[in-house]
Formats: sequence, C-alpha cells, structure tokens
Amino acid sequence: MVNGLLTGGLYALVAVGFSLVWGVMNVVNIAHAAYIMLGAYTSYWLFRLFNWDPFLSIPVSMAVLFALGYLIASVVLNRVIRFGLVMTLVLTFGIDLILQNAALMLWSADYRSVTPAYAGQGLAIGGVMVPYVRLAVFLLAVLFVVLFSLFLSKTRMGNAIQATALNPGAAELTGVRIERIYAMTYAIGAALAAAAGSMISVVYTIQPQVGNVFLTRAFVITVLGGLGSIPGALLGGVILGLAESFATVTVGVGWSEAVSFALLVLILIVRPQGLLGRRFFGGVG
Amino acid sequence: MSPAPARRGGVITAIALVVLGVLAALPPFYLSGYWVRVLTGLLMYGALASAINIMVGFAGYPALGNIVFFGVGAYTVAVLMVKYNTDFFVALVAAGVLAALYAMVLGAAVLRLRGAYFGIATIGINHATSEIVTNLDSLTGGGRGTIVPFYPGGIEEERMFFYFLMLGLMVLAVATVWLISRNRLGYGLRALKADQEGASVMGVNTTRYKVIAWTISAGLTGLVGGAYAYWLAFLEPPYVFDITMSVKTYIMAILGGAGTVAGPVVGAFALELLSELIWGRFLEAHMLVLGIVVVLVVLFIPQGFMNLAGRLVGLLRGRRRPGEVGADG
Repeated sequence: MVNGLLTGGLYALVAVGFSLVWGVMNVVNIAHAAYIMLGAYTSYWLFRLFNWDPFLSIPVSMAVLFALGYLIASVVLNRVIRFGLVMTLVLTFGIDLILQNAALMLWSADYRSVTPAYAGQGLAIGGVMVPYVRLAVFLLAVLFVVLFSLFLSKTRMGNAIQATALNPGAAELTGVRIERIYAMTYAIGAALAAAAGSMISVVYTIQPQVGNVFLTRAFVITVLGGLGSIPGALLGGVILGLAESFATVTVGVGWSEAVSFALLVLILIVRPQGLLGRRFFGGVG
Repeated sequence: MSPAPARRGGVITAIALVVLGVLAALPPFYLSGYWVRVLTGLLMYGALASAINIMVGFAGYPALGNIVFFGVGAYTVAVLMVKYNTDFFVALVAAGVLAALYAMVLGAAVLRLRGAYFGIATIGINHATSEIVTNLDSLTGGGRGTIVPFYPGGIEEERMFFYFLMLGLMVLAVATVWLISRNRLGYGLRALKADQEGASVMGVNTTRYKVIAWTISAGLTGLVGGAYAYWLAFLEPPYVFDITMSVKTYIMAILGGAGTVAGPVVGAFALELLSELIWGRFLEAHMLVLGIVVVLVVLFIPQGFMNLAGRLVGLLRGRRRPGEVGADG
C-alpha cells in the first residue's frame, strides 16, 4: 500500500507531461514513451561512464529532451497539427518507433539499471521497509509537479500556455505565438518525461521499451484525472498506484493491467472529462 | 449521367475484374515458395485494411485497436481446433461470428465515444483482451502459446491452400466494402462521419449504423485472424493482439485512401511489400524504417493514394474536381 502511494507519485510525474501536451495541443503523444526511455538512458550513461549520481543527472536529461522535443515539434509536429488528432497520434507513433528502435540498435535490449551506493538501503515506517530511493523519487516527483503547477499559473509563459489551451484563437489575438507555444509545450512535456525517466532508471531496470508500460499508465491517469489538469494528474497517479497495488495483492499481477484498462474504459464512458478536468477537446456521443 | 457511358464503364470494369481474377490465380503455380508466402501476407493485409476501412473511412471512427478482433478470431480457431477437434472451416466461421459478437456487445458502450477517445478505448480493449486471453491459460495456453493443428497435406498444397484462402477473404472484404459503399449503410455512415448530429436529425439511426459497421468490420477481421491461426500454426497473445500491426493496417487504409473501395488494398500492398523488402535487407532496422515511413506518409500523403490519384486523373481530364478531405482526426 505504501509502495502503491509512492509509485503513484512517480506515475503522476510521468503523466503530467503527457496530459499537458494533450490538453494544450490536442496531441496524444505516443513518443512520450520514447522520451521517458531516453531520459532514463541519459542518466544511465552518465552514471556508467562518469559516475554521476542519478538524481544529479536529472537536469541534464531534462535539458537534452527539452531540446529534442522542441526540435521535433517545430520541424515535424507543427505541420501536422492541422490534420487533427488521429494524424498527430499516428505521427507520434512513428516517431516513437524510430526512437525506440534506434535505441534498440544502439544499446541492445539488455536490461540495465542504475545502482548508486545507497540503492539497497531504506527506512522502516510502521513495520514496512521503504527504500530511500523510492521515497526520494516520490518526494522529488511531487515537488516537480507542484513546481510545474506554479510555473503554469504564475509565469508569463505558463499563462500563455494555459491561454492557448483554452482558446487558441483568442490567445493569438492577445499576441501569443501559437506555434512557439506548441513547441514550448511539447518540449516541456518531453523534459518532464525525461525527469521521470531518470527517476525510473534508479527504481526499475530499463531497456529500450521501458517507456511503453508507463505510457499506458499515463493514458489512464490523464483520462482519470482530466486532460491538462495537473492536480488531476497527481490525483490520478495516486489512485492508479493504489489500484495497481491493490490488484496485485488481491487478483494477482497478471490481471492488474486488465484492471487499469477496464478502469480507463469505464471512466471514458461514465465521466470522460475525468475527475478534475474541464472539457478541452473532449467528445462523447 | 446518361446510361450509355455507365454501361460502357460497367463492361470495362467487368473485363478488368476477370483479368485481375485470372492474374490473381496464377502466382502459386509459377512463383517460388518465398514469394507465394509474401503474396499471401499481402492479401491478408489487404483484407485487414479493407475491414478497418469500414470504420475509419466510412464511419470516421479511428479504430486503432481493431486488431483485437483478429486476435479473438485467431484464438477461437485455435481453441476450437485444439480442445474440441473442430473442423477448420467450421472453426473459421465461428471465429468470424465471435469477433462480430464481441464488437456488437462492446459497441453499444464504446461507440458513444468519439475521435481520439474512441481510438484509445479500442487500444485499451485490445490490451485488456490480450491480458484476459493470457490469463485464461488452461483454455488458451496463455503466455506459453498454443499449437494449432497443421494443415494436413504437403508443402505445395499447403501453400496453395493458404494463398487462395487469403485471396478469398480479401475478395470477401473488398466486396463487402463495395456493397456497403453503394447501399444505405454506406450513405448513412458517410453522413454520420461528416456530421453525426446532423445525420441523426435527418433520420439516420446513427447508433445502429455504427454498431453494424463495427460488427461487420470485426467479423471480417476475425475471419482473417482465424485463417492466420491455421496458417501460422502457433499462437501467442502478443503475436495476434499486436498493436503495431493494428496501427499498420490503419495506416494502410489511410495511405491508400480511406473511404475508397480499392484504396486500402493498394495501401496494404504498397506498405507490406515495402516492409517485406526492408525486412529482407535491414533485419534490425526494419521497425525503424517503418517508423520513418509512417512519419513521411503523415507529412506528405495524408489523404492517401487513391484520392491523390483521383485528383491527378481529374487534372488530366481537364476538369477540376473538388478536393476530398482526407481521413480525419
């Protein structure tokens, strides 16, 4: 249960970037999985080659993916946005294929992990052994989410992003350059994915397709919490983390993914705007 | 349009079809085993792309997870043949029926969603069904996989059997799409694709049409899945509930021209042939190149070959045709 809560925090961070891109740009970014993976590998290689502490490499992986995301958005994505959500989904699927397979070719499918000296140690809380690493990841993830939320509401760029999400036309009238905002948003989404990826590299073993299962969770959390809603992502993350942990204990590991998908479909039918969301680009017949 | 040109067009079309039919029947007799296998694969994708076209091109619903019906069909055949010793053709029919029923049951709820939500829901359904099949492992062999009885006969015979089976299924799929395009269902679907509320106001029973469309699409896909199970002779859930395959057929339909009859087949042949050639040369880079192809298609040919060809033909004839809006989001 405690584990579920802690994992939930990490899930929330994974979901925030994805949710943002969907809410602001109406793009379902399949490549998010690849960005998570690249963030993880950045940390891995910095650790392997230069012995960098994985938590310290977070800013680096974020910067790298920010640049990559900005590049992809301005060169490719912005041209396809006008064709609608499904086209962009297929496009990001293609990008994801390219990145994941390039990684597979470069670094092989071997499992890797980042194991700093303090990896095995933990804290005893009420009879449960909680690894320091998981606790740190949880706290850091929540911190990121909160900081990001502040960024959105307090800074000019953040406000521009929110404005674009609510009404691109009106935003443009007030001087917001939509294409730049889109590129920015996408880049931030990628950076957040990278941060999550770096944390994942410490807690889980990684291989080129590690991002996929997290992407699935990001879907569920985004829909659960509401498109583009940061508190929603946090809430959704925790709920999913707890639900998974509960399912693993009661029904067994095999069914837990089926459970989360059932949850997803149910939410889509019952309350498609999610628990805390407003309708951005929703559609229920 | 006066009747004379129409009749002439009809005769030409008939002759073309006969020629095509003869050409299609020749390969297994003259080509090497490898190419017959490749062609059988092309035919299979042609059938799948046509089936998904009903949802994507006509109804305008991006059924990204449509492959779930392929998997259901495949496992139906596998389970029936392995556990209950059913004859293949009976099992095949059952596969189609079961897949169709699955869509019918899910459709009522899931088709209420639109656009991306629907797409994602279908992806979720695909994954969940894959999980369920894996978990029912006493019935399906689960993650260990299940062996399907082999085709009783020599290699030559087997090759021909599956070639013609897939050919038959593809013809069935294309014929179904053609029929739909000319009958009320097709018009109703096109109407609801353009404007669902408007269509509904005009008296189109959108829910019913959507469900029927998905049922048909699922049934066809299920039949192909069932044939595949017998062809491959060994199944594991990831093989047949493969989301990459699903998106591939989706792209084939778009590439060829969603909403046209022949388009998806053209798209399927083009993409799969390309895929096969690449796989032959760049075994490792195969998926990567597929990714690049996907990106290029979306960037440069979002409306598909057939629509592109249609516009070219229109230009050549010296008439301006109003451009077709491509597959949507």
